[in-house]
Amino acid sequence: MAALSRTRIATSTITGAFSRVWRTSRKFRIGFTIFVALLCLGAFSIATPSYYKNWYYFRKDTPPQLTSLDFLLGITTNGRSVFWILVNAIINSLAIAAVTTLIAAHLGLFIGMVAGIRGGWVDKVLMFVTDTFVTIPGFPLLYVMSMVLRPMLTMPLLGLLISLTSWPWPARQVRAIVLSLRERDYITVARLSGMGTGKILASEIFPHLLGWHLINSTNTVLYSIGSEAGLAILGLSILQEDTLGTMIYWCQHYGALYRGIWWWIAPPIIALILLFISLYLISAGLQEYFNPRLRG
Amino acid sequence: MVSKPLIQYLIGRIITYVATLFAAFTIIFLLLKAMPTSIVDLIIESMRATGAVYDPQALIQLREALYEIFGLKGSLLEQYVTFLRRFLTMDFGPSMISFPTPAKELVVRYIPWTVGLLTFTTVLSWIVGNFLGTLATLFRKSKASKVLQGMALTLYPIPYYILALILIFLFAYILPVFPIGGGAPTAPLISLEFWKQVVYRSFLPAISIILPSMFGWWFLSSSTLTLNVLSEDYYMYGELRGLPKSYLFKKYVLRNILLPQTTALALSLGGIFGGALLTEAVFAYPGLGLLLYRAVGSGDYGVALSILSLSIIGISTATLIIDLIYPLIDPRVRYR
Repeated sequence: MAALSRTRIATSTITGAFSRVWRTSRKFRIGFTIFVALLCLGAFSIATPSYYKNWYYFRKDTPPQLTSLDFLLGITTNGRSVFWILVNAIINSLAIAAVTTLIAAHLGLFIGMVAGIRGGWVDKVLMFVTDTFVTIPGFPLLYVMSMVLRPMLTMPLLGLLISLTSWPWPARQVRAIVLSLRERDYITVARLSGMGTGKILASEIFPHLLGWHLINSTNTVLYSIGSEAGLAILGLSILQEDTLGTMIYWCQHYGALYRGIWWWIAPPIIALILLFISLYLISAGLQEYFNPRLRG
Repeated sequence: MVSKPLIQYLIGRIITYVATLFAAFTIIFLLLKAMPTSIVDLIIESMRATGAVYDPQALIQLREALYEIFGLKGSLLEQYVTFLRRFLTMDFGPSMISFPTPAKELVVRYIPWTVGLLTFTTVLSWIVGNFLGTLATLFRKSKASKVLQGMALTLYPIPYYILALILIFLFAYILPVFPIGGGAPTAPLISLEFWKQVVYRSFLPAISIILPSMFGWWFLSSSTLTLNVLSEDYYMYGELRGLPKSYLFKKYVLRNILLPQTTALALSLGGIFGGALLTEAVFAYPGLGLLLYRAVGSGDYGVALSILSLSIIGISTATLIIDLIYPLIDPRVRYR
């Protein structure tokens, strides 16, 4: 019973916070609407017919027609339906981004919190490793790693690889925030009343980081989708799966633009741009909500 | 003239520089070492599977280099030492794309194109972006600033390679004004024709880098910094004293935002070698990016690792240089 009411309170605070952000920031409203619209488009992938992977199922290079979903966005040079490729690509790109966010954002949060609260040599070692990762330029490291692992690349593995380059900055920032919180009186009170370090982190420090964590997670999604598309353009993503990046890669590979098959290359580019703008607006809107000074 | 603390500071900073370089290469060593042991054979297998014909001599040398790089030869210490030697001298054996040429030589040949393009675009967008960002924030009620703000919000999140694709679509396909791709200019180096070709070739790539960084990143960051200055007491006091806007702009705002922005400029100049690799790949611009694109296509680890090594050295050297000259531009920081 108590647990139930607690979840009810939690949900009501979440919806409350959401509606407050929604009301505060126009950027958030626009971004969130576009994002949900893209998700709805991606949701069509549930209904994907099994023949969508087959090559030359349709007559190739057919321009967009409104006759059926298969022809809605035209047909590629391989005789595959662009619509079904696109909806699956959106979901797959978001799935890779979700893996990255789950790993990188939380790893950064965890390492930053531990380094900040423990201090001493733990802090020194963790920050040395973090600083070194910051020195290594992200994209070159990423392409070397995915070049090495190309024969065995899967979507979760790709998410993991992208995480490799996206946790250090968050870790540094979290540590800075935790350091500024650590010396506050209420933390000392909690410590003196016998609260363990884990408990302090979870119930006294984490709530302060929640807003920051949300913003950072949004940015990680953005970064991950961008990195995957970048790798794919070089031909280093999982080329047999449909993601927004590999879609562009195959367009380039078959020279879609030069043959005038704009309906093949335009959808992934438009989807990517909308995705980037919407996520950025969500992140900027959250920032305005948590930091009123920026509302200017 | 040269004081003792200054020398101490310099030595300390250079030691940190060397330490970070070593640490970065060690991390890459460990990452590559953590790969499955059969990876080299898998790589060579998948190269063969693409059907390309390789010189058998090249394959043997490649296998040799890969075994050393992935730490599959000799004791752990030996592995580490050979690995470091290869990274610091950028000696990764012969390149696959043009066989007997060493990978390093190939990379060095492509560097001027990348450095030329990116130095020009970075510096230009830094100057104009900061100027516009500050002005637009000072006069944020005006229509023009609103337009610029909207533009920045749209352009900033779009990756530069996506923008590159759009530009190709617009200016090489719909309006065929610029070339779709192509190699280096053919005219002799010291002729007007050569430089004309260079400008023609690099116009679109330059625009695709300038747009998001000038109107996106530099605009937004200088705008945020200006907002911070505007809410400071000293600015309000200056305004109440009735100082002219141009004076406030020059002495109160610009000087304060220039400091962090200079650091950021140096950092992005340091990131040149790993920076706009994709733009060059998309435009077939004859720089490191195109080289990398070809290297990836044919599994040329020598070239790929050379570019990685180059970009690590570039960024840490840039950080070193910033730290060394920082006391010169910021009177608040003296050598400590």
